[in-house]
Amino acid sequence: MRKKGSMLVTLIIMVTLIAAGCSGGNTNNTTNDSTSQGNKSQSSNSENTKKGKTKLLFWSPFSGADGPFMKNIVDSYNASQDQYSMEFVIQPNGEYYKMLDVALNASKDSPDLVIMHLDQIPTYQSKGQLQAIDDLAANAGISKADYVEAPIDYATIDGKWYGIPLDIHPLVMYYNKDLFEKAGITSVPTNRAEFDAAVEKLTDQQANVYGYVVPTLWPQQFIFPTLVWQNGGELWDGDNVAYNSPEAVEMIEWMRGLIDKGVSPSNVQQDGENTLFLQGKNAIQFNGPWMKSQFDEAGLNFGVAPVPQIGKAKPAVFGGSHNFAIPQGVTDEGILAGIGDFLKYVSSNSLDWAESGQALASKPMLESAEFKALPQSAIAESFSYVQFAPNVLNWPTISEPIWGELNNALLGNKPAQQAMDDAAAKSQQAIGK
Amino acid sequence: MKPTLKSRISSSLFALPYTLCFAAFLLFPICYGFYISLHDFELLSKEHPFVGLSNYIAIFTPNSYENALFFRGLWATIQFVIFSVPLLIIAGLAIAMLVNALPSKLRGLFRTFYFIPYALSASVMAVIWLMMFDTNAGFLNSMLQKLGGQSIPWLTGTPWAWVSLIITTLWWTIGFNMIIFINALNQVPEDYYEAASIDGASSWSKFIYITLPTIRPVMLFVMITSTIASFNIYAQPFLLTRGGPGDTTRVLLINVLDHAFIRKEVGSASAMAIIMALIIIIISLVQYRLTYGRKEGN
Repeated sequence: MRKKGSMLVTLIIMVTLIAAGCSGGNTNNTTNDSTSQGNKSQSSNSENTKKGKTKLLFWSPFSGADGPFMKNIVDSYNASQDQYSMEFVIQPNGEYYKMLDVALNASKDSPDLVIMHLDQIPTYQSKGQLQAIDDLAANAGISKADYVEAPIDYATIDGKWYGIPLDIHPLVMYYNKDLFEKAGITSVPTNRAEFDAAVEKLTDQQANVYGYVVPTLWPQQFIFPTLVWQNGGELWDGDNVAYNSPEAVEMIEWMRGLIDKGVSPSNVQQDGENTLFLQGKNAIQFNGPWMKSQFDEAGLNFGVAPVPQIGKAKPAVFGGSHNFAIPQGVTDEGILAGIGDFLKYVSSNSLDWAESGQALASKPMLESAEFKALPQSAIAESFSYVQFAPNVLNWPTISEPIWGELNNALLGNKPAQQAMDDAAAKSQQAIGK
Repeated sequence: MKPTLKSRISSSLFALPYTLCFAAFLLFPICYGFYISLHDFELLSKEHPFVGLSNYIAIFTPNSYENALFFRGLWATIQFVIFSVPLLIIAGLAIAMLVNALPSKLRGLFRTFYFIPYALSASVMAVIWLMMFDTNAGFLNSMLQKLGGQSIPWLTGTPWAWVSLIITTLWWTIGFNMIIFINALNQVPEDYYEAASIDGASSWSKFIYITLPTIRPVMLFVMITSTIASFNIYAQPFLLTRGGPGDTTRVLLINVLDHAFIRKEVGSASAMAIIMALIIIIISLVQYRLTYGRKEGN
C-alpha cells in the first residue's frame, strides 16, 4: 500500500503540473510557435535575396473564405514586376493579434507589412509599434484624397498617417426578397416608421415567420453602436463611457419591444437569427458584408441595403476596416520602397478583394464600373456616415461589459436602464488603470 | 540485489526523453509563467519592469478590475466543476458497466460509439450542439413541441445554460472516462464475484463491496483528471453561450485569456493562471486525502 501511495502522489503532481502548464504556459507556446515560423521565413528570405529580388513579408488574418482573394492580388503583383517578391502569410483569424504581438516583440523576424483593423491602429501607434506612412505614400504616389475620408481621419494621429484602408465593412441590412414579395412590400425600409410597419407585415406567427429576429449576442457589437449613434447618443464621451444615456436605453427598449410585439421570438441564442434567416423564417437581419457568400451558397433570394435610420437624430452606421500598416521596426529603404510599390499597385488593382463580398475604400475603385456592377456597391452608400469604434486605449475590454448586460436586457432579465448602468459600473473598473 | 552501474545508466537513458520533454514543455513554461507573473508584462511594450507581487495583490484587492475579472470567472467555473465532476464520474462508470455487460461482439462497437465524440474538435462539437439547442429552430425544442411541451431556452436561460453546457461536456468527453473505467472493471478478479455469489450477495452489494473498492485508485485518477479538465472549461461556453445569459457562464479561462491577449496584460493574466493552478493542486490533494485517508497516504 505504501508503494502504491507514493506512486499516486507522483501521479497527482504530474497531472496537476500538466494542468498548470496548460494554463500558465500559454504565452510561451505562442512564443515558440512564432519564432519557429519566423526562422522559416528568415531562411527563405536569404534564399530569395540571392536571386536578386527584395523579399517582403506580408501578414494578414484572412483565414476565412476571403484569403484566396488577397492571395490573387499578391500573386498578380509578384507576376507584374521582378524587383520585389511579396510573401503572403495568412495567420488564423482568431489568433492574429496574439501572433502579431509576439512577432513584434521578437522584432527580428517580424512582418514588413501587416493588415490591421482600423480600431487597433491607435493602440499599436500609442505603444510605438507602427510607423507613419506619409513619406512612403508620397514617394509611391498614394494620396489620402483617393480614399474614403472616415478611415483616413481615424488613422491620422497627431497629423501623421498610419494606415491605408483596403475596405470598409459596415453593418448592412440583408432581406429575404421572397418574404418581402409575399407581404406585399415593394420598397426597402429606410427609416423607423417604414421598418416598424414592414416587420409587422412580414411577421406570420402561424407559419413561424418573423419580420426581424433580434440577436441577443454577436453581431450586437455592430448593431448597438449603430442604433445609439443614430439616436444621437455616444458610446464614449471623451473621458468616460456614455452608453447608459437615455438615447441608448431607448434603442434597447425598441429592440426589446420587437420581441414583446412578437415580431421577433424571445430567447434568441448565438446565431439563432442567422439560422432562421437561412431557413426563410426571418425576413430581415443586420450583419456584416462577410455574410454574403454564405447566403449565396445557400441559394437564398436576398437583397443587400444600407441599415435603415432607426434612431431619430442622424444617419449613422458602425463599421470596421482592414488597413495596411507598417511596423516601426521596418527601416530598410529597399523594403520600404517595395511596400510603397505594392500598396500603389493594390490601390488600383483591388477589385479581386471586392469579389470576396467587401466594399472597397479606394475611391477610384468605388467609382469604377466593375465595382458598381457588384451587389455590395449598395453598401458604399453608407460610407459618408460610417463610424468606427471609439478611439480609446483598451476599448475592447472597456466595452466588454456592454455585451453581457445588453444580453440580459434583450432576454428580459433586467430593465434596459439598469442593465446599462450595471455595465457602465463594470466599464469604470476596466478604465481604472 | 544492488543495481549495477550499467543497468543504472541504461535505465536513466530510458527516462531521458521524457525528462527532456518535461523540462522543455512543462517545467520551463511553468517557471517562465511564474517569472512573467512578477513583471508588468504588457505585450506591446518594449520594457517589462519587475513589479514583485503586485499583480497578485491586485487580484486580491477588492473592487479592482483584476479582482472582479478573476473572482466572477472563478465563481462561474466552480459552479460548473461542482455539477460536472460527479456526473462525469457517475456517467462514465455507468456507461462502462453497461458496455461491459454487452455481448462481446457489440462491446467493441458501442465502446467506439461512445468514444468518437472525444476525438472531435471543439468547433465541430459547437456546431452540432448549437443546432441541437437552438431555441427557435433546434432539434430538441422541435421534438418538445411535437410532444406538446414548451420550448426550453437551452442556451439563453438559467439554469438551462448550465444544464446544456454539462450535457455537451458529458457527450464530448465521457468516452475518456469510460475507457479508463472499462479497463479498471476488467481487472477486478472474477473469483471475488464468484465467492460473493456463493455467499448469496446481491448485485448491488457486489458493486458496493467488491467493484468500488477494487477500482478505487482508478476512481481517484478519473476524479482528479475530471476536476482538472472541468476547471479548464473554455470552449463550451466560449462557443455556445458566449458567456451568457448576461455573464453567468463567463468562466475563468475566458477572462484570463481576454486579459492576456485582448487587454494584453500578460503579467497579470499569468498571475491569475498561477493562482488557478494552485487552486487545482489544492483540490486534487484534498480529493486524494479524502479517498485514502491520512495514514495510508504517507
